[in-house]
Amino acid sequence: MFEINEIKELIRAVDESSVGELEIRGETKEKLTIKKEGTGAAAIAPEVVQAPQQAYAPAPPSAPAPSSEPAEQETQTKKDDSLEKIVSPMVGTFYRSPSPEADVYVKEGDKVNEDTVVCIIEAMKLMNELEAEVSGEIVEILVDNGELVEYGQPLFLVKHT
Amino acid sequence: MRDRLLQLLTATDSFVSGQEISTKLGISRTAVWKHIEELRKNGYELEAVPRKGYRLTHAPDLASIDEIKASLHTEHFGTSIVYKKKVTSTQEVAHELARNEAEEGTVVVAETQYKGKGRMNREWHSPSGTGLWFSLIVRPDIIPQKAPQLTLMTAVAVTEGIMEATGIQAQIKWPNDILIDGKKIAGILTEMQSEPDRVQAIIIGIGLNINQQVEHFPEELLPKATSLALENDGVTYQRAVVISAILKRLEQWYFHYLQHGFKEVRERWESLAVTIGKQIKASTMKETVSGIAEGITEDGVLLLKKQDGTIEYIYSADID
Repeated sequence: MFEINEIKELIRAVDESSVGELEIRGETKEKLTIKKEGTGAAAIAPEVVQAPQQAYAPAPPSAPAPSSEPAEQETQTKKDDSLEKIVSPMVGTFYRSPSPEADVYVKEGDKVNEDTVVCIIEAMKLMNELEAEVSGEIVEILVDNGELVEYGQPLFLVKHT
Repeated sequence: MRDRLLQLLTATDSFVSGQEISTKLGISRTAVWKHIEELRKNGYELEAVPRKGYRLTHAPDLASIDEIKASLHTEHFGTSIVYKKKVTSTQEVAHELARNEAEEGTVVVAETQYKGKGRMNREWHSPSGTGLWFSLIVRPDIIPQKAPQLTLMTAVAVTEGIMEATGIQAQIKWPNDILIDGKKIAGILTEMQSEPDRVQAIIIGIGLNINQQVEHFPEELLPKATSLALENDGVTYQRAVVISAILKRLEQWYFHYLQHGFKEVRERWESLAVTIGKQIKASTMKETVSGIAEGITEDGVLLLKKQDGTIEYIYSADID
């Protein structure tokens, strides 16, 4: 069965896209059709056409998406929702410890609170000691020590406890 | 009070009368006498002649609050100075102050650090009374992404401050080491306290070798490091005067940067940089890349042109 949140999410995605009609089948063969009123894709303003990048890939009008895909993506998103991401505030090099010889700030399974320092991001010899800003347990470290990270790139997944 | 007294005494080579001091500082003649005695205790030598007044004949090289303030010409930076004889590192003290709402422009200065911090927690050699080890707290209203620009701005300001105070030609090695004749004279380490979209405080740490003689340096540092005195035939400088010149340049560039952005900082940085156009080696934790340093980006990132013609963006590395 589709959950109400999933349906809402799909409606929003269709709304923001150039797709006029979306028909999907769930795992138990139930069918959901979302049809946009009145307009065809041609009538949609250009800036709206650019939007699909943010929404998850809507199928082109002529070829409906494979039935299982949107549902699967939805499950993924829902799983992520229960986890908080700690993201990088700047482009730079990611370090897990204050110096190569020192112990790492945090490892998987560690409990952190808002003020716990989790890593350093360095650019042009500016060191940014990043605090968790959330409390919970570190469940995954997504970046290797010494790797270059982008602005906004997720570094850690934290589970609320 | 003592900073203003020092200002009066250092402004002239001749005598300043007790009456003049008393009037200008708004204190009694007895109070003037007491302050003069305090100065003598701190190593100042003063000639006192009846009906003529006081004349300064020798000033020790102190870098405490009074000495710095006596030679400081800034509006904000250094208004609040925290002076310590001995600290773990001035960065550590400044971090703590910043977390406790210390105002922008607060300066922490120490005679010696026993855990002086360099990049990646490398030790910074800071023997007592020879150099200047200080940290400056700023609170710019910029996004964290832009903050690395301030480390290049600091390099420009420190280089200019050194040249103004001593007349010695200094240059910048990317991103912000200061060199004289290829040897390191100053190191800058900047640390940031931030939220994802907002800078809370940036703590700029500066270590500057001023009056070290050859014997002050560990042997292995001698080929790589120098001091202002060594570049001046061993003749020492007043450290307070050097820090004041640097703080003045820092303040000028900082407010210029906040108002007009990075463009002029970058141009000035490039004109002072020794790195650009040279064959260099950039060593990161993962690899060493060789090539020609082509320039820096709008954000201060080093552009390294490799032999195959491709450009590598260097955000953090040791440069040789």
